[in-house]
Amino acid sequence: MMSRRSSKKGFHVDESDLMCKNGCGFYGNPGWQGYCSKCWRDYQKAKQVQPKTEQIASNRSKRLSQMGSGETAPSFSKFEERKKQQSEKRKNTVKSIFNRSSKESSPSNTPPKKDPVAKRVSVESQQVGGEFAEFLKKLRKTTALDISKQVRAFIEKIQVFADSPVEELSEMVQDFYQIITDRINTLPVYKGMDQNTIDTLMDFIEKYILTRIYRIVFCPVTTTDEEDDLAIQNRIRSLHWITREQIDCKIYENDAESSQLLETAITDIIQMDSKRAPQDKLASIVQCCNHIFELLRKSTDGPASADDFLPALIYVVLKANPPLLQSNIQYITRFANPTRLMSGEAGYFFTNLCCVVSFIQNISAESLDLTQKDFDKYMSGEAVPHTSHNAYMCDGLRLMYQNLSTLTELRQRHEKLMAEALQLQQDMVEFKDSFKNEIDTVLERNPWTLRPRKSKADIDAENSDTELLPSPLKPEVLHPVGQ
Amino acid sequence: MAGRGGAQWPNGAAQGKICQFKLVLLGESAVGKSSLVLRFVKGQFHEYQESTIGAAFLTQTVCLDDTTVKFEIWDTAGQERYHSLAPMYYRGAQAAIVVYDITNQDTFGRAKTWVKELQRQASPNIVIALAGNKADLANKRMVEYDEAQAYAEENSLLFMETSAKTAMNVNDIFLAIAKKLPKSEQGQASQPRQRGVDLNEQNQSSSGGCCKS
Repeated sequence: MMSRRSSKKGFHVDESDLMCKNGCGFYGNPGWQGYCSKCWRDYQKAKQVQPKTEQIASNRSKRLSQMGSGETAPSFSKFEERKKQQSEKRKNTVKSIFNRSSKESSPSNTPPKKDPVAKRVSVESQQVGGEFAEFLKKLRKTTALDISKQVRAFIEKIQVFADSPVEELSEMVQDFYQIITDRINTLPVYKGMDQNTIDTLMDFIEKYILTRIYRIVFCPVTTTDEEDDLAIQNRIRSLHWITREQIDCKIYENDAESSQLLETAITDIIQMDSKRAPQDKLASIVQCCNHIFELLRKSTDGPASADDFLPALIYVVLKANPPLLQSNIQYITRFANPTRLMSGEAGYFFTNLCCVVSFIQNISAESLDLTQKDFDKYMSGEAVPHTSHNAYMCDGLRLMYQNLSTLTELRQRHEKLMAEALQLQQDMVEFKDSFKNEIDTVLERNPWTLRPRKSKADIDAENSDTELLPSPLKPEVLHPVGQ
Repeated sequence: MAGRGGAQWPNGAAQGKICQFKLVLLGESAVGKSSLVLRFVKGQFHEYQESTIGAAFLTQTVCLDDTTVKFEIWDTAGQERYHSLAPMYYRGAQAAIVVYDITNQDTFGRAKTWVKELQRQASPNIVIALAGNKADLANKRMVEYDEAQAYAEENSLLFMETSAKTAMNVNDIFLAIAKKLPKSEQGQASQPRQRGVDLNEQNQSSSGGCCKS
């Protein structure tokens, strides 16, 4: 979308053209015929107010007949000239983009491609184009030729109509699916194809066309898709506080495997935006949902029902906040083959996703069993519900919380240790005191006084007893023998 | 049960008619919606195979005389808070089973609201069946058979008391629906559509459903 705008900007040269054509003072955009966004919308509206309904009806029938016959019947005035040229050109230079498939039959008829349309082909388109061509090779040459001719003509036509309201583009694409189906059912070129081949063929046509015209039809400027995207994104952001319990979501991530699955589901739904073809986008949704079911298997006994599934999907979408969610949903609704959306697993899951978006948009205090006061508080960020222990978080955050709880435990243990040490100290002091007291009391009870000795004990004093003792030994002096 | 596991489509070759129908399940949570479907589709109750991970979307084929009827069963979340989303599920559905629990009077009340809503908002030809589930717990019965039967007759609904546990009436109620569904060209998914979907109408209803409502 952005790139489309910028590519359009490349056309403009004049400085004065920068301002809105309406002279409102804002900058204009060549993509909007020189109007600013506001004036452009007004202009578009004014244009559409005109007898739109009849116009659409007649346009459609005309388009149907044109595309069916492959010829150009001059139609409503506005595009008449351009279209004529286009078809003229087409007739002269029927250069199929699937040249490879038709090469064998007409090797001389493949001049080097210098088509401006072909030049703009993106990597994705080239890839799908290659696969499509491979597939067409397996069909009969006449069949392949007709298909590639139809598809090519249709893409050129869409590119001419690129600025039409998206509803018309959507109708054109849907009509084209119908036309191709009709051709397959009626034309002899298509005789003998089995249902599987037809399904694959339709699949490829859808994939190829929409990959080619993706820039034109995805989130077009004529719609409010972009604003809706921002609105839902902000809405989800402001609902970050929602807990599993509030929406009956029964997924838990007690172990690494569960949180891994939850992360995979979140990645799947985010990846939807990077795909181009509706079926690829739908495949991302289906993948996400299957991961959710696997996740639910751990917390519910038996296969999960919608009672468990829808809340889980809401939770995943809230945590993922997928980019351009509304644009993607709108794009799929407008351009996917309707059989995909009304039935089958993909249809069911897509419906669920639409329900999720609707629920998120209309979430209220009542739907979360909260009082209006609490709800407002949470929405304004004044308060946060305190059930963060099982909220979804990334690896780093989880580690942090783990460490935090370890630290808390450590601190508690430390505090306990400190308390015990203090207690010990206290005990010791008390013990000392009580010991002292006890001694004091004992001392008090049994006072001992230093009484003077009855007799003087003078060891060295001369007394009669000592005289009874033998005289002390006297050292004998021995003379050496030799003296 | 006819055609279990035989959900194959005879490609192109017309072996009798094949009709595909979308059937939605409505009812309060914990009335046994998914048990009912699992019993019908897998023949299981509480002894789930590893391969069955989800019971929210299942398909089952039944044979009816010369017609093969393929049911695509869409389960809906029964919690009150998700009630307003139901129209997105039953849009385009050809059949609906409204389930209540015979041991719980409230669920019968909810079932009546569902029926009323379907009659007002779903496609006019929708076939509605009322299923009083948990019939095996008859000793704890709170909703009388006659009461429900009378209500069903009044509103021209199919009515059966079922038990996912004993399999009582489970296949029968689906077969009864299959019989009542119109087996015309319109119901045939294998047939190409007569015309492109009217996007003017379709698109508005769907975008209104998921974005503006």
